[in-house]
Amino acid sequence: MNENRRQILEMLAAGKINVDEAERLLAALEPDRTSVGGFTGTIAGANGTKDTTVKTQAKYLRVLVEADESMTGMKGPTTVNVRVPMQLLRAGVRLASLIPKQAHDQLDEALSRHGVPLTLSQIKPENLEELVDHLEDLTVDVEGNEGHTVKVRVFSE
Amino acid sequence: MTPNIAVVQIETPHWRCIPLWIPLFLFWIPAIFLSPLIFLVIFGLAIAGKVDPWKAIAVLWNLICSLPGTHVRVVADGAKVYVRVL
Repeated sequence: MNENRRQILEMLAAGKINVDEAERLLAALEPDRTSVGGFTGTIAGANGTKDTTVKTQAKYLRVLVEADESMTGMKGPTTVNVRVPMQLLRAGVRLASLIPKQAHDQLDEALSRHGVPLTLSQIKPENLEELVDHLEDLTVDVEGNEGHTVKVRVFSE
Repeated sequence: MTPNIAVVQIETPHWRCIPLWIPLFLFWIPAIFLSPLIFLVIFGLAIAGKVDPWKAIAVLWNLICSLPGTHVRVVADGAKVYVRVL
């Protein structure tokens, strides 16, 4: 049984929420909902008010890059729109586990020299879930020459 | 689920191609025949890299099976490329 559903049913059994509230929370977990984040709000339970947040799991990560022609030098705006299944990202993280241990230190050193303070051995699929949970909608404006910007937007859906 | 079909569409300012539906599942037929050679190569590389070969195969298989649902759309210099893996 889905962990979120179990949590809702336990709250109902404990009398913290009533049947209507449980139904609303369960409806927020419906798979046809495309938005990530789910239901967040204050629910008046039998023993007082409770804040309850139910998060639906993200299925895809989308990366949008937009640059105008003044930035790229090409005719017309340049856009890159990539949607990647979360499963692929998790598989990619597991790929890092194939790197031989002796190479880890050299790679970590090379990454830190290039300004990326990352420790490869500590990247795990669980960290990825946490990162995506906190990601929500990230927009980065990259400043280029003469004040031109490239907009990079990363979000889960 | 293994990727079954790739849909590729390319558009330029002067030319637009119809979406190409590439049956990726047909590549499994030669892959099955070549599987002993493929396994040998993977095993050789894994042993040379001091990595568990079974783990390497599992990770690569996981990677391939995660591809369905990937969408890539690039618009640059008037040209457009769409790739979808189903």
